[in-house]
Amino acid sequence: MSRSVPIARRNILADRRRLAISTVGVGLAVALIFLLEGLWAGLLDQISAYPDHLDATYVARAASARSLVEGSVPPTALDAIRSIPGVTRADPVIAHYVILDLHGTKKPAVLIGYDPGGAGGPWSIAEGQPPSSGSSGIVMDETLAHDHGIDVGGSLEMQGRPFSVTGLSAGTQSFMGVAYVFTSLETARAVFGQEGTATFVLVDAEDAGRVGDEIARATGLAVETPDQVARDERELYATILGKPIVLMVVVAFVAGTLIVALTVYSAIVDRIREYGIAKAIGARWTRLLRIVAGQTLVLAALGLIAGAVFYEGGSRLIVALRPQFESVLTPRIVGEVVIAAIVMGLLAAIVPTRRVTRLDPADVYKG
Amino acid sequence: MGVPVGRKNLFSEPRRAVLGVGGVAVALLLVLMLGGIVDGAIREVTAYIDTSPADVFVAQAGVRNMHMASSTIPIDDLQTIRGLPGVSWADPIRYAPDAVSTASGRRIAYVIGFVPGGRGGPAALVEGHVPGSGEVVIDRRAAESLGVGVGEEVVLLGARWTVSGLTSGLTNLANTVAFITYREFEAATGTHGTASYVLLGGDAPAANLAATIERATGLSALPKSAFADQERGLVEDMSAQLIQIMNVAAMLIALAVIALTLYSTTLSHLREVGVIKALGATRSRLTGVVLSQAAWTVVTAVGVAVALAVGLSVLVSRVTTNVSILLEPAAVARLVVAATVLGLLGAITPMIKVWRVDPATVFRRNR
Repeated sequence: MSRSVPIARRNILADRRRLAISTVGVGLAVALIFLLEGLWAGLLDQISAYPDHLDATYVARAASARSLVEGSVPPTALDAIRSIPGVTRADPVIAHYVILDLHGTKKPAVLIGYDPGGAGGPWSIAEGQPPSSGSSGIVMDETLAHDHGIDVGGSLEMQGRPFSVTGLSAGTQSFMGVAYVFTSLETARAVFGQEGTATFVLVDAEDAGRVGDEIARATGLAVETPDQVARDERELYATILGKPIVLMVVVAFVAGTLIVALTVYSAIVDRIREYGIAKAIGARWTRLLRIVAGQTLVLAALGLIAGAVFYEGGSRLIVALRPQFESVLTPRIVGEVVIAAIVMGLLAAIVPTRRVTRLDPADVYKG
Repeated sequence: MGVPVGRKNLFSEPRRAVLGVGGVAVALLLVLMLGGIVDGAIREVTAYIDTSPADVFVAQAGVRNMHMASSTIPIDDLQTIRGLPGVSWADPIRYAPDAVSTASGRRIAYVIGFVPGGRGGPAALVEGHVPGSGEVVIDRRAAESLGVGVGEEVVLLGARWTVSGLTSGLTNLANTVAFITYREFEAATGTHGTASYVLLGGDAPAANLAATIERATGLSALPKSAFADQERGLVEDMSAQLIQIMNVAAMLIALAVIALTLYSTTLSHLREVGVIKALGATRSRLTGVVLSQAAWTVVTAVGVAVALAVGLSVLVSRVTTNVSILLEPAAVARLVVAATVLGLLGAITPMIKVWRVDPATVFRRNR
């Protein structure tokens, strides 16, 4: 009768307390990786919130513009667009960053000036109503408003002017909690001293392909679909923020790997006599590697499960306390983290394996 | 002379000590890195202001920032400012978000239009000369990332410009800064008759000058240091919440590794603990052993984390062109305090373990 002994499993489960601490540690590292990746995905989704909700065929803007607030469209270009056959609507929009000083905290926001009867305004008004043209009314993001005790009928100061809140919008935040605030085009022009120009023009057209080409020829502007504008926003901020995120993911991965390696190494050292016996009776390095890797992979798997649980709880808590930080887990992210956990387990086996393979069975019997 | 039992036990297994200290160090590195990235960004965001010869910065009423802000000042106000008592000089600048592009890529840039011979341009050049007609000065790091040098062309504000010179220290995580002449800015943007900000110097205290200007013009005027503080506040407020979330996760990871390291070390030396107890060691003595292990773990890990952070900051500055990691002594001091607290918390489980050791049980062959 031949029956192998599950050495790896027995060793790793021998000390439950150490296993628990290690699982928590690896789980936290894995949860941090999940969180970083999820926040990053959520951030990229939020970055393009405005263009994602645009109801327009095209966005015409300066040829060099890649972000929503860049560039300028002269009034002559707007007139040219409107004169092109097939254009059913051409609505100018002004978009600029502003800094709100709220309760001693600086909050960047994007002030959108749009024609209240046209496109480019808030896509979801949770409360109140849109601003009327030329008034000092604004629609602001409800999360930002509630964070600072502002309701419909309240007031907000921007650019040295008082504005009255006529409505609250839902889901109108961009990355890092940068909120959209909407006012009439006329008001925005007065605020920014921009007479006649726009940041971009929202165009509806029949025979979209022909009209798009004609607009580009007639004005020299870039003519893009809202999807393309959204992609530009995501790519732009991915370039800016991608590197720090990757750096932090790598550091979290290294931390998790070291925790797994430490746990298994400690378990091996505590049972070094048994490994000495195993070697003495002929266990080869491949067998020893399987024993060690079995332990590291078991611990990595437990850490992965714990990490998923911690992430679930942590992300819910974060959203409850800070709704602007939305974490989005996609199948790709989950797959990447699973692979990372496997690689973590394999890398963590290196140091303990070396300890075991270099072991002289005779040494373990010394007093 | 006492035997340093704690230290000897901790480092008796060098590889385990390295894994344990390394795990803690990596978790603490994450904390240092997060803070260092933010501190680096803050330094670079305020670089233009900090290196400016101006005593006071004037902006549109209600505007107290440059980064992510919009400011428009009627040019007539410039004459009013110049006529105020105590004002020795006043130079307008234009300021707008755009991007510097080449075939190699694109960097978000704040474009500053300054009056040649005035004080609103780059504080110093590392190469080349100030821009003339059709020329631009960009930051060296941006130039490296875009693969251009002095004499080569970039695209900015929808037009082509020749790089006449390079500055330094004006590229941060999110953007860089580019300088063209005031007139060319107006021509490129089609906007005239306004300034974005006014920089001024005088022979009165900056705070007095600022107050005088605000009273006379209704504009927003801040002494240079206060203006820089507003910029710092913006970056800190934007990043604070995300940093807090990441720091909590990193600290928990560090706590788990500390607990694991101390617990594993204690388990491995349970016999010695039993001997010490049998010889009459009091609980406080045993506590001291565990606490000394915690202290050694924390001190070594903090030292390794700081060394890794320094190395990483050098590596990152060479490998990337928009990420800087700045290590402030205050940040290291905070880390020491936090790590000390973590060390104390992590010592709890092993302390309980050693308090409960029965000297007789540790001499059994099988645990």
